[in-house]
Amino acid sequence: MQEILTAVSLGSVYLLFALGMSLTWGTIDILNFSHGSIFMFSTFTAYLLLESVSLPLVAVLLIGVVVGAVMSLVIQKLAFEQILKRARDKRSAEMQILIGGIGVATIPLAIAQHHTKSNPFGLQESTFDVTVWRHGDLFITNVAVYTIILALVLWAATTLWLRLTRQGLAMRAIGVDAETASLMGIDRQRLALLTMAASGAFAGLAGVMFTYYLGAITPESGDTLLVKAFAIIILGGVGSMWGVAFGAFALALAEVYVQGHTSGSWTDAVSFGLIFLVLLVRPAGLFGRKEVRRT
Amino acid sequence: MSLFYDSHLVLIQSTLTGLLMALSIQVPLRMGVFSFAGAGCYGFGAYAAALLVIHQEMGALEAIALAALMTAGIGLVLGLVLARLNGLYLAMATVAFDLIIGVIAVNGGEFTGSSTGLYGVITDFSMSQMYVITVAVVALIAFSELGRTGRRVEAVRDDPQLAASVGVDVRRYRIVAFVVSGALGGIAGGMNVMVRSIIQPLDIGFTLIVLALTMIIVGGARSWVGAVIGAVIFTWLPDLLSAVGQWQELIYGILVAIAAVLLPRGIHGVLVDGYRWGKRRRRDGRAEELASDDGDEPELVLADPAPTPPDQHGLSRPTTDARGRA
Repeated sequence: MQEILTAVSLGSVYLLFALGMSLTWGTIDILNFSHGSIFMFSTFTAYLLLESVSLPLVAVLLIGVVVGAVMSLVIQKLAFEQILKRARDKRSAEMQILIGGIGVATIPLAIAQHHTKSNPFGLQESTFDVTVWRHGDLFITNVAVYTIILALVLWAATTLWLRLTRQGLAMRAIGVDAETASLMGIDRQRLALLTMAASGAFAGLAGVMFTYYLGAITPESGDTLLVKAFAIIILGGVGSMWGVAFGAFALALAEVYVQGHTSGSWTDAVSFGLIFLVLLVRPAGLFGRKEVRRT
Repeated sequence: MSLFYDSHLVLIQSTLTGLLMALSIQVPLRMGVFSFAGAGCYGFGAYAAALLVIHQEMGALEAIALAALMTAGIGLVLGLVLARLNGLYLAMATVAFDLIIGVIAVNGGEFTGSSTGLYGVITDFSMSQMYVITVAVVALIAFSELGRTGRRVEAVRDDPQLAASVGVDVRRYRIVAFVVSGALGGIAGGMNVMVRSIIQPLDIGFTLIVLALTMIIVGGARSWVGAVIGAVIFTWLPDLLSAVGQWQELIYGILVAIAAVLLPRGIHGVLVDGYRWGKRRRRDGRAEELASDDGDEPELVLADPAPTPPDQHGLSRPTTDARGRA
């Protein structure tokens, strides 16, 4: 029972993180490999600010969201848009974006590593205190509860936005056939900026919540989560909102199980093994259809 | 000169192993196969060679050869198993493979030395042997870029369907890419463990993939020359930048980002473009003097069997159309 509780709260962090990646990959076809460093750097900025002022949880979250969104917009403008402008075809654009993302990610990473000497940093200076709630044998922290609520609300909001609004329809249209969507008068560049901003905001939010959840993160934490998020999206199927939620909780459950039954150093192998296995057996993911249709 | 050589021996060794490592990812990339399995084979090869030396008391050359044979076999299996995957999916499946090798190395107990790795791989491996292996391998790869083979490889990359329709066995080329990549990774890993006498799980993680990719992207992905440029730059740059000061990591990051965004074909691509531009200008000047056209160079036509007009599948055009309408 405690294992399930832990898995649900861990899965919620994964969901928050993977949601942003899934959104940009499923709609505007950008697999953003700097997502992990946006996650890390927005938390890092909050950590730096907290050195001079003590702030409540909401303010710290807001910093994470704003920094994440701004970083994401800058990267879209300076890197991905430039790559798309120059790309010869879709396939080479995909690879250039992957590589560009890895390249761009080194900059915030280098800054944070330089400042922290690669040591862990946390958000203990804020006025928010992590408390543990107990009920018999079971326990859960208030951060974990907030994370679960935030993750589920944002996931539902994103899903509904994609399903019900005109912009959501436009996004799905881009995901299905970008060129026809453009011919129908959809402004791809503006929508791409909007999507990237939302994705970055999710990354910042996930960064702050994850850091409270764990106590501290290192500059390299973003890279680890990046691979996990990839496993999550692959498991569920690219572009599927149900898939990303399923993937996040399934990965967390598998990891908690492996953690509880082995020495612990095998935990990382869960996500890597999942990626390999799913791609081998069902490349479209569990919720993906053979013909790509994104929701 | 000799003093410089001795004091920079480690860097020279790193350049050579880095070059082979970069080539192990570049060779499949040149055929349009986005596989990072070479990095995993590097790790596997390093551990295999180290174990052969430690437990079987094998000589350096035999150990490297055997390790390379094993990683070529792994490449073959991966090539067959992952035949259905393409693009990003293939890239990530092979990244997952590389990371699994790392996790196995950490969890291998006494056999792989867990997180401390394997120590004391002492052999009679000499620098001249290292040069001979590297030059021989690079020469073979350079050879594959010439003539019929080279043109076929380019056809497989630029338009697999077209290549298949003119009788090129695309599937076989893809498998060959995996096997060569595996062998190259194995040789690089084996050589590295021979000159360092240590191998640790930390040496074969995600950073290894990023480093090899960085070398190729900045150097150029189309030719072995690009891998050489990249290997030299990214082995020697950190050493030079350490003189610049404490911000070397940042400068390094900015350089990589700029290259990734602005130079899709790397420094080698820029050099080739510059060379062609100069040649064309000279030819045009001569043509004007003679007031007659001396025709296209047959070499250039043959080297590009699947010419794709840059704007035909361009991504930017529809966007401007949409903007025009909006």
